[in-house]
Amino acid sequence: MADLPSDLVVAGVAPAADEAAVAKAGGWWRGRLGVTVPAVMVAFIFGLCFIWPIIGPVPPPTGGNILNASLPAFSPGHFLGTDPVGNDEWSRLLYGGRASLEIALAVQAIGLILGGLIGAVAGYLGGWRDATIMRVLDVFIAFPGLVLAVAIAQGLGPSELHTIWALSFFSVPASARISRAATLQLREQTFMTAARLSGTSFPRMVLGHIAPNILPQLLTYALLGMGIIMILEGALSFVGLGVPPPAPSWGNMIAQGQSTISADPRYVFLPSAALFITVVSFNLLGEGLRARWVTQ
Amino acid sequence: MSYVIRSSRLAAFAACLLVVAAVVSACGGSSSKSSASSATTAGSTSATSTAAAATGTPKSGGSLTVLELGGYAGAWPTGLDPATNVNGAADQDQMNSIFGQLFQLSTGGHVTPDLATSATPEKGGTTWRIALRPGLKFSDGTPLDAAAVVSNWKRDLANPCTCKPILPPVKSITAPDSTTVLLSMAAPDGAFQNQLLVANLNWIASPTAIKSMGEQAFKLKPVGAGPFTVVSDTLSNTLALKKNPNYWESGRPYLDNLTFKATADDESALEALQSGGAQAYDGMATPSLVSTYKSHFTTTEQPATSPYDIQLNTAAPPFNNINAREAIYYATDAAVIDQKLFGNQFQVVQGFTAPGGLFYYPNVPGYPTYDLNKAKSIVKQLGGLNVNFFTLASPVNQNFMEALQTLWKEAGINTSIHLYSLAGLIQQFDTKKWQAALQTAGAWDPAAGVGLGFRFLSQSPFSGVHDPKLDALILGGQAQVDPTARDKTYQQAAQYIAKNADGPFLFPLASWNVAVHGVQGPGLTTVIPSVVVNTAPLWQDVSFTQ
Amino acid sequence: MSSTSAPLSAPLAARAGRAGRLAGSPTLSFIVRRLLAAIPVLFGVTFLSFVVMNSLPGDAAQELLGAQATPAEIHQLEIKLGLDKPFLTRYWDWLHQAVIGHLGHSLSSGQSVASILGSDLPVTFELVGFAFVISLALAVPLALVSARKPNGVADRLSMMFSMAGLSIAPYVLALVLVYVFAVKLNVLPAIGWVPPGQSVSQNIRYLILPAVSIGLGLLCFYTRLLRADLLGQMQGEDYVVTARAKGVRPWRVLTRHALRNSLFGLITVVALNLGTLLGFTVVIEDIFGIPGIGHELLQAIDNRDIPVIEGIVFVFAVIVVLLNLAADVLYSVLDPRIRYGRPTE
Repeated sequence: MADLPSDLVVAGVAPAADEAAVAKAGGWWRGRLGVTVPAVMVAFIFGLCFIWPIIGPVPPPTGGNILNASLPAFSPGHFLGTDPVGNDEWSRLLYGGRASLEIALAVQAIGLILGGLIGAVAGYLGGWRDATIMRVLDVFIAFPGLVLAVAIAQGLGPSELHTIWALSFFSVPASARISRAATLQLREQTFMTAARLSGTSFPRMVLGHIAPNILPQLLTYALLGMGIIMILEGALSFVGLGVPPPAPSWGNMIAQGQSTISADPRYVFLPSAALFITVVSFNLLGEGLRARWVTQ
Repeated sequence: MSYVIRSSRLAAFAACLLVVAAVVSACGGSSSKSSASSATTAGSTSATSTAAAATGTPKSGGSLTVLELGGYAGAWPTGLDPATNVNGAADQDQMNSIFGQLFQLSTGGHVTPDLATSATPEKGGTTWRIALRPGLKFSDGTPLDAAAVVSNWKRDLANPCTCKPILPPVKSITAPDSTTVLLSMAAPDGAFQNQLLVANLNWIASPTAIKSMGEQAFKLKPVGAGPFTVVSDTLSNTLALKKNPNYWESGRPYLDNLTFKATADDESALEALQSGGAQAYDGMATPSLVSTYKSHFTTTEQPATSPYDIQLNTAAPPFNNINAREAIYYATDAAVIDQKLFGNQFQVVQGFTAPGGLFYYPNVPGYPTYDLNKAKSIVKQLGGLNVNFFTLASPVNQNFMEALQTLWKEAGINTSIHLYSLAGLIQQFDTKKWQAALQTAGAWDPAAGVGLGFRFLSQSPFSGVHDPKLDALILGGQAQVDPTARDKTYQQAAQYIAKNADGPFLFPLASWNVAVHGVQGPGLTTVIPSVVVNTAPLWQDVSFTQ
Repeated sequence: MSSTSAPLSAPLAARAGRAGRLAGSPTLSFIVRRLLAAIPVLFGVTFLSFVVMNSLPGDAAQELLGAQATPAEIHQLEIKLGLDKPFLTRYWDWLHQAVIGHLGHSLSSGQSVASILGSDLPVTFELVGFAFVISLALAVPLALVSARKPNGVADRLSMMFSMAGLSIAPYVLALVLVYVFAVKLNVLPAIGWVPPGQSVSQNIRYLILPAVSIGLGLLCFYTRLLRADLLGQMQGEDYVVTARAKGVRPWRVLTRHALRNSLFGLITVVALNLGTLLGFTVVIEDIFGIPGIGHELLQAIDNRDIPVIEGIVFVFAVIVVLLNLAADVLYSVLDPRIRYGRPTE
């Protein structure tokens, strides 16, 4: 039962030939610059969300005084104003970013490691073992993750950790398919046959030979997926999972704010803009890295 | 090609523009927000209508689309059969339009006849005599007589549905003649007529239609004697009705077509109204949107009748200690929440009755009012107080809980807040170890709908109080026929609750009914108290104006 | 890095040859094997959702009766609905009816699950189909224009636009669209749904904003994918070199050959992204008040209406399996460079 490199293509991590040709043709994906700008943007966003609240003057995002409810922007001490219960909006934006980024990172990391291993093992072993693993993965792909997400929210209660579990449901099978397809391509190469014939142990094959070679594709996929996972987290907030208020995440800020958008659009606009900028950065970074690895 | 900027750089630049735009909009957004928190209308009273009540001449004809809140009034997942519509009290608009009502609540809060003409208590209130309007017919032509009512009521009471009124055990339901129904109970019930108002007994279905269509088909396309008949029904999404040509009141209804549509929330409703997709919205409940609504539409505040209260579980720690309960009372500043979250639009109360309903008194003697110092000292004496506080998930409740959390913090009370779905909520109560819950209690008539009994009677699984003396007062208030006696009993109940600090009351949240200019109707552009949550406009009298 | 990547397409002539070997080729047994393997997958999916739903607090009876019901009333209704039977019994009851096509009845409304699916599925299909149509109708010309002159002005503009469009959350887009087109400009409705039977023009009007909300992201993704693939063919494939050597104009090569090859591969994209698509469709249906399957699923979960959930999950799984199979089969016809079965040891 073959799964074809279609997986690599549709995930956007594969096309090598055309990428090289495009790079030669127009020079626009010139490796360094295509990577540096988005990398700086990503680093800046991370710095702002993770480091600045520790070292800079940022009030806590929850526990605000209700006497400060709904202050407008540029009020003393709250340069983006406050939310309806008195929490500082700038702080909510930063801590919300931290929550959304943490979730996306964790989900992609789990996908990368767990999904990557599963897929590599399946692709390398082949045969009935491969088939069984793929069928089990198919169950998870065919299962509407939404049902699981809502079920987790209702059964276990919404929390950042549960959101990560629910979203890993999307990322692990997808990553496994990528990993498997990449492994299949790799399997045919001579150095692999040589290693096998010389009696390399199974774990060493997987970790020592396969993993390093499929890592670029997996990593690119993980980066490209950051954006979609952050957007999915927002979608989950709309249906009741996601980070539970009052702790902010960009997703739940958008979901909460949209119910009063006519009265006060900034509660939606700020997290939406932040989310957009972050997603663009990750997408650009992923594409830049992919092009760079191609032209090497 | 030096003039062509790299796509990635351009994207980064565009991103910066967005950030600037965000900051600019943050300034722009502020002006519309401040109006809500500085609104000066102090404490609504039952009779205030903030609408320019349209009093134009009613025009016959026209098609009206009305929005209802999805998940509540806009949800009828089990169909529209009075016996089985578990959402009946929320779906009153739909039910009233199809079935009409035996009795209805009209402008000013008076119970007026519709399909029935009078309800008289007999034998000290253990029996009630209902007189029907003679000559009534269902829209399928069969007669709506006492026999039909009797068969309906028996069917309603036999089905498991919380849309039934909570009555003393019913001994018999009979029809001594074709326009009289007698209902006899084992104990007196003075509130029976008021209890009908949102109970399924108020809606009479055609027994012939139920039999010939079968219950499954009937619940999707019910037949009643109301002003409208069903054209099509997509459950919990759209209900299309048209004028009933055989409606008993000549010249009514004014409208040719009436359609109910579910909407996701108050914001979507606003957008739908602004884009012309609907002409009315029943039950707008987001205070911060009120000024936006008012600037475009006729927005009428409907007096609320169920105050929010904080239920305290007197059977488990920490609130089995009356001092801890009193600390909560002293730490709760309802007025500041009303001011900051809701722009002072609601009336702070001290009991389970509200300005819009019956038996309302603004002050309950002996009620522990806000006193931060007393709260602090009690908490210190107790050596600290930690509370698990929960409620039903909703955006308004979210803010409410957070506000209470920070207020209580000032007194040294540490609160962790949880918002649950319905199933989760019930689970909490089942554990018997819950501590505090934010709920609503009471109704237009404290004995009607649900609320008071569920919150305070010992036999209720959702009550935090198990006190036979309070039971006697609550049940007594329902049993007595004389309104003055009922008033006195409910007053005593409120004072008893305050004395035992069973749980502070806050304020009722009013809702608003909205209509585009050129549409009018009782309950829509005039004030009718809500029996439980939403006001029910009298759709047969709703019309476009000349 | 691998150098033998397979683009979405392959030369047409070569494909025809391979198709000729279809009968009796590995492809047929491949299909049969996959269909057989799909059965345990369907079983696994429905069992998993049964487990998940039953592990949630509360049940349909409790949800139906609401917060004011007494435990006795709830129990009475549970018996009536058959919810008091043990877990495996209930699953078996559902399963052995479902395999012959009887999907049961909704616990809330009593309607047959088949009729619920019958009225909701077409709505969602129409919404998603409309989104696909919009996205493809625009992606194709955009990709063609880009591929014609790589790195030209049009190309860079379309790449920027598609990058931006990819990065917007569909629900944010929906809010913006409603604000601009429904509230400010008043040309399109904000919420609602009109069945095509009632009025085709109104039906389309009500679908535009929701379809665009979903379709924009798809559009951007397809544009980039198509463009990359077209470029790959134009620069890499032998048949292109041959055609150009013969004097065929590049535009003609693009539109007559390369495009056709690329479009086939898009099916694989659809198949693999269905889960995420459903997630967004649910939110969009909720925002716009569209009575589709996503909305129905959410409500059914809230109501613990297990037969409806099982029915929807079952249909969804069937669709995913079939589409994945179709994608893989089509792909193998296009490029059988990967062998089936075990690697040679």
